[in-house]
Amino acid sequence: MDGIEIRGLKKSYTLESGTLHVLRGLDLTLEAGAITVVLGKSGCGKTTLLRLVGGLEKPDGGEIRFHSPRKTAFVFQEPRLMPWLNVRDNIQFGLRRGEIDPAATKRIIETVGLTGFESALPAQLSGGMQQRVALARALACRPSFIMMDEPFAALDHFTRESMQKELLRVREATDASILFVTHAIDEALTLADKVVLLSGGVCAAAFPIALPHPRDLMCDELIQARRSIVAALGAAA
Amino acid sequence: MKLRKRILPALIGVGAVLLAWYLVCASGVVNDYVLPSPGRVWSTFLKMAASGELIKGVLVSLGRVLKGFGIAFALAFLLASLRILAPASEPYYEYIVQFFRNVPPIAMIPLLILWCGIGETTKTVIIVLASFFPMYLSIVKGFTGCDPRLLEVARSFDYGRGRAFFRVVLPSAMADILVGMRTSLGYSWRAIIGAEMVAASTGLGHMILFAQQMSRTDKVIVGILTIGIVGRVTDWLLGIVIRRFAGGTAQNGWD
Ligand SMILES: Nc1ncnc2c1ncn2[C@@H]1O[C@H](COP(=O)(O)OP(=O)(O)OP(=O)(O)O)[C@@H](O)[C@H]1O
Ligand SMILES: [Mg+2]
Repeated sequence: MDGIEIRGLKKSYTLESGTLHVLRGLDLTLEAGAITVVLGKSGCGKTTLLRLVGGLEKPDGGEIRFHSPRKTAFVFQEPRLMPWLNVRDNIQFGLRRGEIDPAATKRIIETVGLTGFESALPAQLSGGMQQRVALARALACRPSFIMMDEPFAALDHFTRESMQKELLRVREATDASILFVTHAIDEALTLADKVVLLSGGVCAAAFPIALPHPRDLMCDELIQARRSIVAALGAAA
Repeated sequence: MKLRKRILPALIGVGAVLLAWYLVCASGVVNDYVLPSPGRVWSTFLKMAASGELIKGVLVSLGRVLKGFGIAFALAFLLASLRILAPASEPYYEYIVQFFRNVPPIAMIPLLILWCGIGETTKTVIIVLASFFPMYLSIVKGFTGCDPRLLEVARSFDYGRGRAFFRVVLPSAMADILVGMRTSLGYSWRAIIGAEMVAASTGLGHMILFAQQMSRTDKVIVGILTIGIVGRVTDWLLGIVIRRFAGGTAQNGWD
């Protein structure tokens, strides 16, 4: 099977007050070309999971198996832009010299709605605009696997909606696999092919959602899905 | 605007000092040998400028500064980079560096004269010793102060160490590096004047000392004024170069 398999993933941090077991043997399968949304309360280990999958940290146990070589991109919880680079150069940060394509960069700047700000520095942008640059930076390197850590949390309702649409369009166009972390249930329902509930250091529950996009959050299936997710979240607490 | 806010007050400040100087001399309280009048210093300045004596002194001293400063910068940059790229190497040289940091370069002059004579080598070494440490310390500070979260971004895009160094660590350290260069340039300028007063037969420092021995206080004052002005001008030129470099993006500690 093509995708990413996570088996028995363990991670703990040593704090002054003792050892904090964040992930305790987590199993998760990320299907290729699908959007897997990880949902969970603040501090449950969503970012930790993402960092392990992205190879930014080493797990204490378990394994992460990639079934095919892939180009990955990471959208962090904060924008993390290079303060000395303007918008255009920040977006091209993930590209090698030979890969830079001005036309493609221009298109991406357009889709994240930053036309006219190409030469602006991060300090001259609002928080939401910075996050959009971070998103564009990830998309610019045409990744086949994108990891996103609450990328739209800082955006207003309408920008968030258009970014979500954009993400779905990118997935359509490139067939990228996406691992998406959020704590917003609506966002999970809007995007996910599968919603995974992270709680107690494991995947407490999984909810496949096989509905076409764009979705009506008020349709019966999604209302039903929301009910069971809320129930599962409550039960996990 | 700039005229009203900066240039005018500056002229008034300088004018006040000149006026006080003139009045003190005109009142006859001090001997002309102890404090020559501004007019006398001015005519001496013109004479020295016309004879080429002054320009030659400036060029000799400046040449020494640039050479020593260049070597010191290369050394500081290399050692600081080594510390970042191969952290394991640090303990091997860090204590030696810290030792020399606490030895004033002037104290090394007797040894240097013994080893290298009063030739150019001695003066170059003095400048290197004087200007290395501010640069080394601020380059290290710039490198180690790089936000690890930005380095992580580079890592997430598969950057290797070298590429991350040039595209993340170096630009983020730029402001600190530039401030260090500025401090160091001032240090080397002071050091060379000191060294030339002890061990040289050319340069501005020697010119001043020689004038003192000839009881030419006016020449001494011309020399001092020249040192101040040349120091300020080189500082200002470096500022222009640096503003170009930092592109006004990094806050560069200038003005
Ligand atoms: N480097 C670290 N050292 C020690 N503890 C850590 C470290 N990183 C994370 N933790 C701890 O691990 C737990 C999970 O953190 P994580 O950042 O994964 O949470 P999260 O689910 O992403 O939360 P949020 O929704 O608020 O972003 C937290 O209790 C946190 O204190
Ligand atoms: Mg998080």
